[in-house]
Amino acid sequence: MATLEIEGKVFEVDGDGFLTEPSLWNEEVAMLFAKNDGIEEMNDKHWAIVNIIRRNFDEKGNAPMIRTICQETGLKLREIYELFPLGPARGACKVAGLPKPDGCV
Amino acid sequence: MDSILKFKDIDSKLLTHLNACVKCGLCADSCMFYKKFSDPDYIPASKVALVSSIYRRYNTLSGRLIPSLVGAEKMSQEMAERMVDLLFGACTMCGRCVKHCSIGVDIAFVVRKGREMLAEMGLVPSTLQSTVDAAVNTGNNMGIPEDEFVGTISWMEEELRDELNDQNASIPLNQKGKRVFYTLNPREPKFFPLSISAMAKIFYAAGESWTLSSKYYDVTNYGFFNGNKREAALIAKNLHDEVIGLNSALLVLGECGHGSRANRWEAPNYLCKEYEFDMTTAVELTSSYIREGKIKLDPTLNKEAVTIHDPCNLVRNGGLLQEIRFVVNSSAQNVTEMTPCGNDNYCCGGGGGLLAMSEYNDRRVGAGEIKADQIRKSGAKVVVTPCHNCVDQLTQLNHTYKLGVKIKTIAELVADAIIIEKT
Repeated sequence: MATLEIEGKVFEVDGDGFLTEPSLWNEEVAMLFAKNDGIEEMNDKHWAIVNIIRRNFDEKGNAPMIRTICQETGLKLREIYELFPLGPARGACKVAGLPKPDGCV
Repeated sequence: MDSILKFKDIDSKLLTHLNACVKCGLCADSCMFYKKFSDPDYIPASKVALVSSIYRRYNTLSGRLIPSLVGAEKMSQEMAERMVDLLFGACTMCGRCVKHCSIGVDIAFVVRKGREMLAEMGLVPSTLQSTVDAAVNTGNNMGIPEDEFVGTISWMEEELRDELNDQNASIPLNQKGKRVFYTLNPREPKFFPLSISAMAKIFYAAGESWTLSSKYYDVTNYGFFNGNKREAALIAKNLHDEVIGLNSALLVLGECGHGSRANRWEAPNYLCKEYEFDMTTAVELTSSYIREGKIKLDPTLNKEAVTIHDPCNLVRNGGLLQEIRFVVNSSAQNVTEMTPCGNDNYCCGGGGGLLAMSEYNDRRVGAGEIKADQIRKSGAKVVVTPCHNCVDQLTQLNHTYKLGVKIKTIAELVADAIIIEKT
């Protein structure tokens, strides 16, 4: 099991840097993971995306479709890609503390 | 163990290639893993030797009686771990070494056979297996429920209608008797749907008769990677049967390297039958639209310098070298090539199922530095590639190595250059 150290805090992660234990996630973890991926400060839009992903995960056990994220935040697709340059999976889902989704992502 | 690793029938192709390798080492410099990390275990010939040693031990008389004299090795815990690490974690089966082999040993094929042995022993990395399981259990490799897929398609259809200002523009679902049955990589509906509307725009401009299925639209087949032919056949059969059910004449494989290869060149062998319908790739179909004047493109609408990343399974192993260039050159005004490119191109680093296996993330992104350097040296601002798996690896390389480029599928590039003539 790999570990990731950000600002003195150590997290257990998979090889791709996704949190191994999603229940350990909290807002501070989100901010640290975002910073580690080059997002210096989480703005309201970042939080809106992350909160929807997190809620979907708590309710359904997986990441929401990008359509759900767009509809519930009112954000355009391209805005989401700009807010999380690594994309909804490797970017946003990682910050939201989800396991890495299966498939070509 | 003996019964698992003893081949029931003699595999003459495997035997020929195992015996042909003379370990000259010419393949070493062709492999991105060896070039990047200089670990002699990563030399393609070493991987052949690994499979060969196990094959000899369990399938030849001398291997059983005098193993140490003929380079035969017994399967042990350590050996199994070594095989998993090198055959799953340090090879994308890109086949660049095959082109550089003076004898033409099909090293990628030998690696796949090695993976098949590991699959028989139940040693497929769980991260890769879960992607196969999702496809087998749900019909797509991301486990997207059908209603959520349908919702996403209607949403993209609305966007398409707005963009084209035509309420008749559509993304047809489950329609019988259409000429084209189109397929997607599940990452499109899940996270990156712009390539769906881009292809729909191309179909609209060409006046194509087409449909998607809401059940079996997944072009991928990770059974090609995990070495389990039964699962590969099951996944291929679902798609095959759906095309028959919707009575389409042409299966069009969406932009996916391994999926195109697995369906077009491997699946008829998995199912031991000749397919009743024709198959082509989205790039070849788009190319035919341009040649036949069915769509009109204005390359000046794509002004930024574009370079092409050649997916291994479509170019080196698929023959689409010229078709891709024809489509890209028709769609963009400033196209520049990487060095090397085409049949000698380097893999993005994420092929062979590697992108799914988290445990090899550092190695995958490390080996991808070769591709990142190529992109940087090309001076291009946009990298296009007809493979969603490559897109994802390139996106990660773009971020890690700060390349500052945009990564697009071919359909997205073409859609941006299309001129719609209103009648």
